[in-house]
Amino acid sequence: MEKYLYIALFAPLVSSLFAALFTATPKKQFVGIIASLLIFTAFVSSAILLTHILGTGEIVHVELMTWMQTGNLYIPFGFVVDQVSVTMMMVVTLVSTIVHIYSIGYMDHDSGFNRFFSYLSAFVFSMMILVMSDNFAGLFIGWEGVGLCSWLLIGFWFHKESATWAANEAFIMNRIADLGMLIGIFLIYWNTGTLQYDGAFAAFANLDHATLTWIGIFLFIGAMGKSAQFPLHTWLADAMEGPTPVSALIHAATMVTAGVYLVVRSHELYALIPNVGLFIASLGAFVAIFAATMALVNRDIKRVIAYSTLSQLGYMFAAAGLGAYWVALFHLMAHAFFKALLFLGGGNVMHAMNNELDPFKMGALGKTMKGTMIMMTLASVALAGIFPLAGFFSKDLILEVAFVDHHFIIYTVLLFTAGLTAFYSFRIIALIFHGEDRHTALGHHPHEAYKFMLVAMSPLLILAIIAGFTMKMPYFEMVTELLPATEYHIHSHTTYWIMTIGTQVFVLLAIFFAYKKYMCRSVKVPDGTSKMENSFAYKLLINQYYIPYFYEEYIVKAYRELSVVCWEQIDKKVVDASVDGIANIFYNTGKNTRHMQSGNLSTMLKWMVAGTVALLSLAVVFGLAARYSGEITTILSGLGV
Amino acid sequence: MLDHILSILIFFPAFAGVMGFMINKESMRAYGTAVATIEFALSLWLWFSFDNNVSGMQFMEHMALVPSFGINYILGVDGISLFIIIMASFFTMIGIASLSPTHSIKNMIITLLFLQMTMIGVFAALDAIVFYVFWELSLVPMLYLIGAWGGPNRIYASVKFFLYTFTGSLVMLVGMLFMAYFFYQATGTWSFAILDWYRLILPESFQLWLFAAFFVGFAIKVPMFPFHTWLPYAHGQAPTIGSVILAAVLLKMGTYAFIRFSLPLFPDASVFFMYPIAILAIIMIIYTAMVAYAQKDIKQVVAYSSVSHMGVIILGTFALNVEGISGSIFLMIAHGVVSGALFLLVGVIYDRRHTKLMSEFGGLAHVMPRYATIFGLMLMASVGMPLTINFVGEFLSLLGFYQQSHILTLLAGIAIIVGAIYMLTAFKKIFFGEVTNEKNRNLPDVSKRELLALIPLAIITVWLGIYPKPVLGPINNSVEAVVQLMHNKATSAEAKSRIPNISGVVISRTATKEAH
Amino acid sequence: MEIGLNHYLVLSTILFCIGLIGVMRRKNLLLLFFATEILLNAVNVGFAAISHYYGDLTGQMFAFFVIAIAASELAVGLGLLIVWHKRHGTIDLDTMTSMRG
Repeated sequence: MEKYLYIALFAPLVSSLFAALFTATPKKQFVGIIASLLIFTAFVSSAILLTHILGTGEIVHVELMTWMQTGNLYIPFGFVVDQVSVTMMMVVTLVSTIVHIYSIGYMDHDSGFNRFFSYLSAFVFSMMILVMSDNFAGLFIGWEGVGLCSWLLIGFWFHKESATWAANEAFIMNRIADLGMLIGIFLIYWNTGTLQYDGAFAAFANLDHATLTWIGIFLFIGAMGKSAQFPLHTWLADAMEGPTPVSALIHAATMVTAGVYLVVRSHELYALIPNVGLFIASLGAFVAIFAATMALVNRDIKRVIAYSTLSQLGYMFAAAGLGAYWVALFHLMAHAFFKALLFLGGGNVMHAMNNELDPFKMGALGKTMKGTMIMMTLASVALAGIFPLAGFFSKDLILEVAFVDHHFIIYTVLLFTAGLTAFYSFRIIALIFHGEDRHTALGHHPHEAYKFMLVAMSPLLILAIIAGFTMKMPYFEMVTELLPATEYHIHSHTTYWIMTIGTQVFVLLAIFFAYKKYMCRSVKVPDGTSKMENSFAYKLLINQYYIPYFYEEYIVKAYRELSVVCWEQIDKKVVDASVDGIANIFYNTGKNTRHMQSGNLSTMLKWMVAGTVALLSLAVVFGLAARYSGEITTILSGLGV
Repeated sequence: MLDHILSILIFFPAFAGVMGFMINKESMRAYGTAVATIEFALSLWLWFSFDNNVSGMQFMEHMALVPSFGINYILGVDGISLFIIIMASFFTMIGIASLSPTHSIKNMIITLLFLQMTMIGVFAALDAIVFYVFWELSLVPMLYLIGAWGGPNRIYASVKFFLYTFTGSLVMLVGMLFMAYFFYQATGTWSFAILDWYRLILPESFQLWLFAAFFVGFAIKVPMFPFHTWLPYAHGQAPTIGSVILAAVLLKMGTYAFIRFSLPLFPDASVFFMYPIAILAIIMIIYTAMVAYAQKDIKQVVAYSSVSHMGVIILGTFALNVEGISGSIFLMIAHGVVSGALFLLVGVIYDRRHTKLMSEFGGLAHVMPRYATIFGLMLMASVGMPLTINFVGEFLSLLGFYQQSHILTLLAGIAIIVGAIYMLTAFKKIFFGEVTNEKNRNLPDVSKRELLALIPLAIITVWLGIYPKPVLGPINNSVEAVVQLMHNKATSAEAKSRIPNISGVVISRTATKEAH
Repeated sequence: MEIGLNHYLVLSTILFCIGLIGVMRRKNLLLLFFATEILLNAVNVGFAAISHYYGDLTGQMFAFFVIAIAASELAVGLGLLIVWHKRHGTIDLDTMTSMRG
């Protein structure tokens, strides 16, 4: 089995290096194909590992070599494939295989075709390290690796100012969170003496509550950055500057869920500190509704889907925080399928519309892009959580978890968010595919994407439909070997049915409302004059609660100005000036005293006499002091000195 | 030959430098490259014959100079100095090999060979006076490099560099003389041998004063805030090769001397001054990173970033445990490789455009993709990306210091944020966007000669990031010996508790190794 | 009144002070030589007096030395003075400032 582990891990690396060989040459179709094949190999190996674990239940654990060893610290490159990591491996390799194949079509006309595959495969490699590592340091390698690849890929079109700005923003914001994670790792090392998961988790039981709380908080800060939780969320929406396949893979399906993975992976820690868990859940619920409200009004398809991702991450954290780790992981998996699908569909639309992203400028695209329309609609249905699609099983479960654990505020927030989710998802569906044709007037002639791109997307479609009812039970049985197997059943059947049907009706109403509002003929490209656009709530939401503005004005600007002050005022005018000042004292002393050296014999003789007198008197004073030192001491001590 | 390999390593370049006066101008570069390559091969041989399991000094040489005052010519290497010596010879080699054409190249190569002698001498010397002599001698070639081949403001920069560091070292010399005098008082014989001094346990009040005296000399060399202002001038005016060697090797003298002198000689004082120094280091990390962000000149960004990273090295050194000190030594190597490479890279565009202002560039990734890739790699190493060489050092340094103080480590950890800010901003300004300046439109990509220097550095950056063991292992052994020595020598209870006792731990670690 | 050592020493001091003031005040090179002669002779008086007081001839011997050296110094000095006067037509000190720093 170890063989397959290594194949799953290193096939993406080989793919990346292979593609990197051709970065300087013009587009080569085979680069994309071979990269896709290698990622597919990783997928197959992951699948073999999955069947192995399903069949035997034994965990594959290997140690490749030592990484760092000094003092008591011992960090190997160790990899583990257990029930949790194999789930992640399946999600990662599956979505990335599809995204690789899709990209062959999507990046067709891009001059950086080969480079794109190199970066994309490097991302997969980093992600595999992240999920397969058996220690926190290895996790951190992957953690930073995906951050690097995300930087490269967001800024892929580096000629665009906005893209490079967004790339830097994402990297730096993640770095802030990474510091938290690093401190968490230090805490673990100095308290348990190891960074291996098994060793550290075993030692947690003996640690005091305060230490564990700090570890939990710091690790979660790391998770907050990667998973773009408030207040480190602004980078995710800006990251949509990257190519769409990147958004699908990194900013929807895999990387942003790394935070959830971390919490699930450290469940033994978080189980010991339920108060931190509750905080995580509350923050998750808050982010869920917070992001959903921003998605309501946004006029950029990709940003709407990004906010939706953010909102769904909130759901996952809510579940993980409440101790329902397997539920969180399940939602992560289901979400990966339908959100990647949604993004790739969005990519088709973008391609068709020459990178136009405003859904108000589209309309009636369903006529020309039937396949895409069906896929995106079904993905939205799954996202909204309609029975029997994947979202229903995973999302309703989270609602049940909140309900059963008597966290009714969280429950209410999440329920309301479910309605919002349905509304904004179908708002864009309605605006893009239905209603009046608004794009022809703007000179767009949309066309459907390549066939193979649609075919490549279809596994995601199938999974988005069936993942819920076919996979829930086997999945549950598998992961609960590792994660706490808490089942969430509402005790009374009546309550259960009322809740489920109530939620479904609520969501359906939201969908209906969205269709009604955005399919009618009166929908126009907003020009900033309508009453709604001038309302306070709209302005608040379209400006993302003024948070980016706040960051820019009060943090970025302040930092920039402080830096200039540090350099111009402090470094030059205080630190360096004092050094030069000291040097100048000597210089000026020399400069001023050189007048003494007038060359005039009689002046010099005067100085000579003065010097002699001074030296003589000094000699006399010291002579006297030495002679009467006893007396002087007595006098001084008498004075109390 | 192995018995005298250190002397050969020190004096071969100097001898070759003198011979170099007789070589004609055209063949000077080939001659210099050959000499530096032989020297590098010798240093590799040193590594090859180095016994990794010995923690003490190896290849010791001993020759009496002024026996009545205990001044002797003593050389030796251990895991701490070995890799810095190799790095010094390595950088001289690639520096000479990739030297861009300049006036009086012959004199420059001779200067570099003399500089190499002094650098290796500093790291191999085990006698305080010999150490001091090489330490001061190293200023002279550097003064020439800046003063003769520097930019428009070179005289000011070189004089400032010389006088500033020289003043610091004079205070250090006083400290050394006092130390020898104390040794005389305690034992009745004069000795300047560092290994003899190691055996001396000083009362804490003496330690504090001596520590302070040594500190002034080392801190200016590092350079620590607020003694850092000579560095930006020196880097700003120095030719590329000067900056490379200054950043890669000369700065390491300060941090190396902390580990060689301050820690084992004054363990109590080290503990006493740990927090003040850590706070200085943190100011150094954050403040200079902010200053770096405000720069308009790319070379100044790299120069200030260098100061910022040296702060992490200092912090790791004063963690006073094996993890931290090993990390800081490793980071010395890492910082040498990465900042050396960054200065070389800055030199590449400077050679093409004769300006270092970032506003002059933009969109270079379109014109010089290979250059952008290598720069990107080094940038990522500089911000401490895992699996690059810098991360190992930074991680271990911070990890080590975390044992001493949580809050201060948290503050120092801001390094990874601010580092990313200035580096990414600089990278964005130079490489991203459209090509706006017409002069940049046809810049040639990196040439073969430049790749000759950059490719090995890139390989080392990744190789030691993934597999640091060949370097970290010997470092670890020697550091364990140093920490144990410090623990044994410490007199105050606080110092005893701050500096871990290794001997008890080694057993438990071998047990864990077996368990793995 | 017996003339004792102290009287000689006071005389020597007074002479020395006169010489010193002369050295400081005189602008004429020739007069400066006179002042230095007074200084040297003040010391000679001291030497001779103390020598007599202790009954040790070394002091008087030194006085002779000083006289001899003063004479030779004066010879050289006067020679230079004459040369200077021939060249510049003056022996005023304020004109000799070519050693200005």
